[in-house]
Amino acid sequence: MNDAVVIENLTRRFGQFTAVDQISLTVRRGEIFGFLGANGAGKTTAIRMLCGLLLPTSGAGRVNGFDIYRENERIKRSIGYMSQKFSLYPDLTGRENIQFYGSIYRLPRRQLKVKLEEMIERLELNEFIDRLAGSLPVGWRQRLALAAALLHEPSILFLDEPTGGVDPVFRRRFWDMLYLLADSGTTLFVTTHYMDEAEFCGRISIMHRGRIIEVGRPTDLMEKHGEKDLQDVFIKLISREEAHV
Amino acid sequence: MIQTIIALIIKEFRQVRRDPIMLRLLFIMPLVQLLLLGYVVSTDVKLIDTAVYDFDNSRLSREYVRSLTAGEYFVASKDDLPLLNADLAFRQNRRNAVIVIPDDFSEKLENFEKVKIGMLLDGSNANTASISLGYAGLITAQFNQRVLGLNMPIQLRQKNLFNPEAESVYFMVPGIVAVLLTMITVMLSAMGIVRERERGTLEQLMVTPISTIGLILGKIIPFAIIGFVEMSIALAVGILWFDIPFAGSWGLLYFLSFIFLFTTLGVGMFISTATRTQQQAMFFAWFFTIYALLTSGFFIPIANMPHIIQLLTYLNPMRYYMTIVRGIMMKGSSIDILHKEVLAMVIFGLVVFTFSALRFSKRVK
Repeated sequence: MNDAVVIENLTRRFGQFTAVDQISLTVRRGEIFGFLGANGAGKTTAIRMLCGLLLPTSGAGRVNGFDIYRENERIKRSIGYMSQKFSLYPDLTGRENIQFYGSIYRLPRRQLKVKLEEMIERLELNEFIDRLAGSLPVGWRQRLALAAALLHEPSILFLDEPTGGVDPVFRRRFWDMLYLLADSGTTLFVTTHYMDEAEFCGRISIMHRGRIIEVGRPTDLMEKHGEKDLQDVFIKLISREEAHV
Repeated sequence: MIQTIIALIIKEFRQVRRDPIMLRLLFIMPLVQLLLLGYVVSTDVKLIDTAVYDFDNSRLSREYVRSLTAGEYFVASKDDLPLLNADLAFRQNRRNAVIVIPDDFSEKLENFEKVKIGMLLDGSNANTASISLGYAGLITAQFNQRVLGLNMPIQLRQKNLFNPEAESVYFMVPGIVAVLLTMITVMLSAMGIVRERERGTLEQLMVTPISTIGLILGKIIPFAIIGFVEMSIALAVGILWFDIPFAGSWGLLYFLSFIFLFTTLGVGMFISTATRTQQQAMFFAWFFTIYALLTSGFFIPIANMPHIIQLLTYLNPMRYYMTIVRGIMMKGSSIDILHKEVLAMVIFGLVVFTFSALRFSKRVK
């Protein structure tokens, strides 16, 4: 089958400011793709265009084979999206949130019930599912948001800084869950600025000022730039770019 | 689509239930408004504190003062300030009127000469002043007739149909129904949508396959239901507590209220597309409500407004609804009398709703 995400020269301008500047990349099915960049590099804007939330200014793109200009509603049916801001209802319980999103994705009632139990078990939400989402610690909120994004079994999951503000133990557990997902064939498109997380990814791209300045497997990039870890590669690349300007 | 809308409605009511302050506000607000406007903002002018300067102090002049204070309109008391300083009592808000009877009052009357009585009014409340003047004129005319046995060739006999006692609460309560519906639905719908945008939950909804129309209906129907509940509370209190007659058809009132809600929810939705934060939405909704209130004919008759302001009232859906509620409740008006108002509301609703729905796209800006 075709690739999960294919974009070519994708550009988005806001007035004079170019947030995303002619980026091109391909994400294969079942891959964990790390979308790296400093704050304000344009990662969120790019993800929003891929999810059909934002129209590109120019360039082309397909997600799950659907055109991002014309078929954004079909894209939405086939993807999951977890934004960097906690976006479930804080004044509803975890269960109510999941039920709500289940209905929005038109899951039949019985299937929703099965799914809910499955999520509770898989994401270890048992103690927390009946508490108000807003009262949960950040790590549990994140898992709840993940559960809501996975209900309709999307083939691609977009995660925009999913582990921001979460402690290291939680982050590791979260990534274990992402690995399980990837094993079952889900494509993961993750933005992060934790370099240790980037090393978990099959391939990564590094974005700077709206442009992609490097793409490759983490080990290959370390080798190519002669550094011991990704953090050094990242800093080296960004400083080099800054020096150009 | 139905499943989506139902899910949104259930969600919205769960959120309302979780917010005890909001819940209390929703049920207490209509009661407080009704009681306040029903009792306090009565436009009937009664018990006008009047200082009487009777320089004649004769049988006839006392008779005149008695007839003045016989009704419940004027409460007379003796002057306690020199006439030259009578305005001081106005400044101290102790008096609303001063009556001056000259010392030749009875003498001239007995000689069938013309007599002049002076009346000073506190014009800082022009409304009260002009109504007081009207009462005084009427009472004086009656006094002329009765005491002097004058036979006036033209006699005006007046009767207020539909509201014989001219009780202001009878037309205030229908007005409050209109005000409540406008306030609640414009504000709740504007803030309800903006709150989701602020929290980021709207963005999450927008990446789902939910249809725009489903999303709009799901966000708006709960507020329409709340609007109907508020309206029913207001009507129940009005009828059971204030004994307001209800002359018309309940079915027609609720049906036309539904059309009216279409316009106010459309306005609320427009506000939500034009603002970014709940505060902005709140101010915007407040501004609209005040405009709607002032140009609706609720307090101020539209016919009394300057021409240019009268034109502005045509852009106010509440103006039409005000005529409709008062018409149905007080006069039992039917649809063939109200069809112009209904048509105007339908047009307003369609325009504002379509315009807002187009602005309310599923893409972020």
